[in-house]
Amino acid sequence: MLVNQFLILAAVLFCIGVYGVIARRNAVMVLMSIELILNSVNLNLIAFALRNGSADGHVFALYIIAVAAAEVGVGLALVLLVYRNRKSIGLEELSEMKG
Amino acid sequence: MSSPLLAAVSWTVPTVDYHGLAPEIVVALGLCVVMLVDLFLAERSKWLLASLSGFTLLGAFIPVLTLALDDGGARAMFDGRYVIDDFSLILKGLFLLAGYVVVLLSTTYIEEGEYYQGEYWVLMLSSILGMMMMTSSRDLISVFVALEFLSIPAYMLAAWRKRDAKSNEAGVKYFLLGVFASAVMLYGMSLLYGVTNSTLLSDIGASISGELTAVRIIAIVFVIVGFAFKVSAVPFHTWAPDTYEGAPTPVTAFLSVASKAAGFVALVTVLYVAVPEGSDVWQPLVWVLAVLTMTVGNVLALRQTNIVRMLAYSSISQGGFILMPLAVAAEGGAGGAALRSVVTYLIVYAATNLGMFAVILTVSRKTRSGEISSFGGLFGYAPALGVVMTFFLGSLAGIPPLGGWIGKFSAFQAVLEAGTGWAYAIAVIGAVNSVVAFGYYGNVMREIWMRPVPDANTMPIRTPAQLVLALAITTISTLALGVLPGVALHFGDLAIFAGAFAG
Amino acid sequence: MSPFLRSYLTVVWFGLAAFLLGGLLLWLASLLRPVKPNPEKVLAYESGVNPVGEGWSQSQIRYYVFALLFVVFDVEAVFLFPWATQLERYGSFGLIEMGVFVAVLLLGLVYAWRKGVLRWV
Repeated sequence: MLVNQFLILAAVLFCIGVYGVIARRNAVMVLMSIELILNSVNLNLIAFALRNGSADGHVFALYIIAVAAAEVGVGLALVLLVYRNRKSIGLEELSEMKG
Repeated sequence: MSSPLLAAVSWTVPTVDYHGLAPEIVVALGLCVVMLVDLFLAERSKWLLASLSGFTLLGAFIPVLTLALDDGGARAMFDGRYVIDDFSLILKGLFLLAGYVVVLLSTTYIEEGEYYQGEYWVLMLSSILGMMMMTSSRDLISVFVALEFLSIPAYMLAAWRKRDAKSNEAGVKYFLLGVFASAVMLYGMSLLYGVTNSTLLSDIGASISGELTAVRIIAIVFVIVGFAFKVSAVPFHTWAPDTYEGAPTPVTAFLSVASKAAGFVALVTVLYVAVPEGSDVWQPLVWVLAVLTMTVGNVLALRQTNIVRMLAYSSISQGGFILMPLAVAAEGGAGGAALRSVVTYLIVYAATNLGMFAVILTVSRKTRSGEISSFGGLFGYAPALGVVMTFFLGSLAGIPPLGGWIGKFSAFQAVLEAGTGWAYAIAVIGAVNSVVAFGYYGNVMREIWMRPVPDANTMPIRTPAQLVLALAITTISTLALGVLPGVALHFGDLAIFAGAFAG
Repeated sequence: MSPFLRSYLTVVWFGLAAFLLGGLLLWLASLLRPVKPNPEKVLAYESGVNPVGEGWSQSQIRYYVFALLFVVFDVEAVFLFPWATQLERYGSFGLIEMGVFVAVLLLGLVYAWRKGVLRWV
């Protein structure tokens, strides 16, 4: 079975996501990178479930999808809040507090 | 192509232990009721919601008590995925009481600000419900769902003051780092599931033994890193000071006590039940995290001038002390002592830190300032508050006979019980840090007792009834836990998790 | 080639066929039609209205609430499908559980309604 290919794809997606979170300076882009990581996790879970022949991975993936939707809802609302107050969603400008 | 998976799984109706679930059910119903009442309530009677939330939390405390008095042993549901044992009951009680105190702290704060009311209580209750679920979760999926359940409302609470740039910033930083951390943790969890073919923590614990392959090491490290964000361990702490400073003060109290405790609960369950055999990987990791956390937290706390920010760093360094016994938990017979010390420390720390925030809230109602210098001469015009605040500072510093020392004592006891070179080394570092911590706690005490009042405004402080009650609860608990250390240690004296650290 | 990959071969064939057919028709049309461009003709076509302003414009912010509501309710529906495929097996227990689940979701809808989010402004 083609489990390894899926795992490699997931690992690549995970790395792209982590790079995006670290390198991007735009809140929405960071959110999208986090979604990428979550999807790599889902891919992992489905591939393992396929190999192991158990349904747990599918269930886990369903929960991750649902929770990710809730997270994005909150995240976009927060980004919107910042945009309304500052007219910008650049993360480097979020530096009200230091030290 | 139809899936053969579902056909193969036999299914029987699960037995649901409604007595065991009663605390969660009460809170869940309460939060639905608060939400509905808020929608159909006139603006002037919104104060009802605060009392309703408070009563919900106290009401949920009753089944916790009846469960604790019931000698039936641990109750397990869904093949051991949801367990109600002594550990979970004590922490459920802690979360409910801490939540009640936070409700008391929030009441006047929310009423006097012009921000939305009903949602605040709904979010607070859902976060507490998530924490209660966390204490009972013994499965990767339920640990993850509980973790998100307690975090997502907390992100919104941190950004509560919608038009305040600082509060926005607090919410966004907390959100982005929190979600990133849980994504990394999930990647680790998916690998754990892959190598063990189970999401049940005890099954994972049974499968992970013997040689640690690279995949297992990565899985364990990623999961721990995810929790390290949650408990704001250095170097994953960067969100904590900004979020604590920017969030509304009662929310800061909630985050620094309850949310942090929930992170430790998750960490402890995963370490003890799922990967006890992987201790070669996580012991050094937790050791480094603990040392960095207490040292960096302390050093940075020394230079703060804002009291909430100082408490943020102090809470980071206290987190290091809670991590300390976990760093040697798998050595010899230290597992039980480490668990006891974590639970004891969390209880004592919750009482003390909530009290500290109660004092800050009360004083800042008059001074309208968060600077440490605004506490100058507090004893002169508000002697009771001055004395109580000194108690809390002393307890945080670990001076006997105040509550804090019993937490530190049990942590050091657990470390010394392990008795290895690494254990002695971390004990010495911890001792040095406890002394350094006197620096900034003592500095605030000096302001209270010896400095003049900054603006010569010595009007007495009017304390609302809710804050008086919160101060009374926290002061009495702090004193009682210190004077009667047996009580705190008794709470921590748990039957160790089944299957953890055999031998 | 594994049978798993082979099942994807169908997709590849269909994709190729779609591209070839589309390309063929466009090529045939370009052979037959006369080409006489003038300024009016090369204007972007916008439902018969003369185009104004930039192609990139900001959409109304008020749509975002609907988007959020859609995302949340849409994704929660994912839990209904596994239950629906095994309806008889889960029996009354499953029915009650799903009833509770849907009731909690409805609470969210009631909230949105009372907050006036569903009204078009």
